[in-house]
Amino acid sequence: MKVLMKPIEMIAWFSKDKYPIPLRYRIVDENMENKVIKVDKILFKEEEKIAGNRMILYRCESIIENTQRIFELKYEISTCKWFLFKI
Amino acid sequence: MSSPLIFHIDVNSAYLSWEAAYRLQHGEEIDLRDVPSIVGGNREKRHGIVLAKSIPAKDYNILTGETIHSALQKCPHLRVVPPNYERYIDASDAMIHILREFSPNIQRYSIDEAFLDYSYGDKHWIDISYEIKERIKADLGFTVNIGVSSNKLLAKMASDFKKPDMVHSLFPYELQDKMWPLPVSELFMVGPKTTVKLHSRGIFTIGDLAALSKDYIYSWLKKPGLLIWEYANGIDSSNVRNNPLPIKSVGNSTTTSFDVDNQREAHMILLALSEKVSMRIRAINQCAYVVSLNIKNYNFFSYSRQVKLNNPTDSTNFVYRTAKRLFDEMWQEEPLRRFSLSLSELISNDYYQLNFFEEDDSKEKLLDNAIDNIRKSFGHKSVFRSCFLYSGIDPLIGGVIMEEEYPMMSSQI
Ligand SMILES: [Mg+2]
Repeated sequence: MKVLMKPIEMIAWFSKDKYPIPLRYRIVDENMENKVIKVDKILFKEEEKIAGNRMILYRCESIIENTQRIFELKYEISTCKWFLFKI
Repeated sequence: MSSPLIFHIDVNSAYLSWEAAYRLQHGEEIDLRDVPSIVGGNREKRHGIVLAKSIPAKDYNILTGETIHSALQKCPHLRVVPPNYERYIDASDAMIHILREFSPNIQRYSIDEAFLDYSYGDKHWIDISYEIKERIKADLGFTVNIGVSSNKLLAKMASDFKKPDMVHSLFPYELQDKMWPLPVSELFMVGPKTTVKLHSRGIFTIGDLAALSKDYIYSWLKKPGLLIWEYANGIDSSNVRNNPLPIKSVGNSTTTSFDVDNQREAHMILLALSEKVSMRIRAINQCAYVVSLNIKNYNFFSYSRQVKLNNPTDSTNFVYRTAKRLFDEMWQEEPLRRFSLSLSELISNDYYQLNFFEEDDSKEKLLDNAIDNIRKSFGHKSVFRSCFLYSGIDPLIGGVIMEEEYPMMSSQI
């Protein structure tokens, strides 16, 4: 996987659990087109506190253009922003 | 009762490590710690100073406190990243949060240093210090040095031994091997001026100082001399005080209702600001390493300068003299409308006694305290300097907390 750290638009489910659950996100691709990707499966999630900044890391799996891809999303608690961290 | 066991936890190249860890978390691929880099003002802002440097930057002989301009001359490909104090507070808080799992008795000595009293702990100091160090590294992504001893002074001396990412002990029985051979300038609170004095009488190592007789040092250097002699002998009985959170900076500013176009008036305004800002820093038992001055002219163009002191200060006169010097260096003699003075890189004043030793201002210290007390009892304007009489300038300016407006260490232009 390659580090991207690209800001993305996200639809997430804030359940009664501790962490929000990412459902689908929209990203602008190389051709400046919007692409929507549905998060099929969360393989694991973990909270990190690097330098005191809380982020939740999700390792996920989706079918993107007919191939199964693994990628990582990050949710930054202090800014409520989502990122495509690695793909 | 158990014997005292004190840890001193010190973040390695704090601002730089925090910046590096944060940037890695946000997808930056190079670790600032691995390349020549500094935290300081922006590249364009040539008057900013180096606040922290990476270990590779040390190889270029880049010094904390020098101007960015001069650092870039030593290393043209130096990475310069601006400071972000808000984030450093988060990093510091997160570290303290971890430390609290190990002891309730913690003193935040500065933003990147803390004392932890483990006298009542039940594990061996070796196990616990490594556990703390590894937890911080794994959870927070930066490294610390931990010094361990039976008092704060020795723990602090120990954390300063080989860096980074190390645990060192310095118990009294280890003084002879580990501390006495070191140059006397490395003893805590011995600054450049004291070093010169000690050298002039053939005292070059901490051991040389420790070996002097108490009477000799007292008759020569009086009370401050006695203190460093005690330190050289590993004596320190100060407690780990449970401090409140350190605040980032104390600053005051004023916008004048008239154009200030002469040095005399400008200096008076600086004095008035120094009075207030120094009183405030004394009131919270802190001293400051960095003095920053920002001035804005009649065109609303503003510029700043800052300086990092060898020894932290809380003295009104010293702050004033420093502000005057910064002002004289940068003022272009155009009419001015606004002055801001701030003190940052704050540190507990536990050991402030020796500052006056370095700066020879023991009388100023007494004076500052006397004036603070009079003002506390009889009002802020019960005593003020006579130069303000009939001057139309308020003898004490400020009182507004302006951290947000003037974040620590920024060098706004
Ligand atoms: Mg440090």
